[in-house]
Amino acid sequence: METASIIFITGGVRSGKSSFAEKKAAERASEIGGSLHYLATGMPSDQEMENRIACHQEDRRKSGFSWKTWEQSTNIGSLASGFREKDVLLLDCLTTWLTNELFSQEADWNESYLKAVFHRILTEIEAIRKNCHQLVIVSNEVLSDPLHEKNDLVFMYCQLIGNLHRQIVQKAMQAYAVEAGVPVLMKGVKR
Amino acid sequence: MHFVTGGAFNGKQAWVKGKYPGSEWISAYKGEPLVEDLNTLSSTSIVLEGLEIWLKEHSAEMTVNEARNYFVNVLNGYIDWENSAQNRKIIIIGTDITKGIVPIDKNDRNWRDLTGWAYQDLSTRCSHVDVIWYGINQTIKPCHSKEK
Repeated sequence: METASIIFITGGVRSGKSSFAEKKAAERASEIGGSLHYLATGMPSDQEMENRIACHQEDRRKSGFSWKTWEQSTNIGSLASGFREKDVLLLDCLTTWLTNELFSQEADWNESYLKAVFHRILTEIEAIRKNCHQLVIVSNEVLSDPLHEKNDLVFMYCQLIGNLHRQIVQKAMQAYAVEAGVPVLMKGVKR
Repeated sequence: MHFVTGGAFNGKQAWVKGKYPGSEWISAYKGEPLVEDLNTLSSTSIVLEGLEIWLKEHSAEMTVNEARNYFVNVLNGYIDWENSAQNRKIIIIGTDITKGIVPIDKNDRNWRDLTGWAYQDLSTRCSHVDVIWYGINQTIKPCHSKEK
């Protein structure tokens, strides 16, 4: 099977990145007559999270397309074998996935642990993209605050997510930054 | 003079290394001080990295206005240095720290204010400004759009 291409989409909170990603995925699926899969990394940990998830589910129901939802907070790559050549996958979102992976084990956030998580995520992305037609990855813009202490958890998290974003943008066929609902094409050609 | 900015960990350093190989690097992240007079260096292509850190140091030592004026003087010196011989180039890398929540601490607010002003003062004096987004550069100066 030909390796699937990646579309990478980032934006701030409530920027409209998820809706845009759903639209892109649905367009692609109708073009090729493929099936839509939603890889949800967020866990309904409290009422607010439940509401947010319900809101996204409602959007997808209203879209008129049929989505199969996979709720998986860590180890997304384990789903890879369940997908087929004509599947279009939407992973929402990378920042949550990274958080889940980092906290899934009781470990010190030392260099080797962070490196291991970084490589695991890239390997798992590679595994799922090999088994589908198109992989759309949604992530958050979180690198706008001043960073202080090098040993701070926020600093380490930002470094990791920045490096992941760079790797994924490099692999991606298209990359978008969504600003206030407007998708700005940063890499690739419009199609 | 070329200003390269963008959020933290977006690949600014890698981009500059690719664009200006063989340049001399002075880095605030390594604790090196801001070079006020470039004539003390022998290279013709100089990269100053981590401008926001140097601005933080200065914002702790003087008022925002004093620091801004001081920095404008330094920049004007850089321009003179660049113009006084052929093929001289200065590249300044500064992380954008101005877009998050307003900091609670007064010193952090001052630092952020100063950084915003200084980046404007810098861009005005630069022939080239690029914003790096996860390794991809967006040239925002010179502006190629039809609006002038």
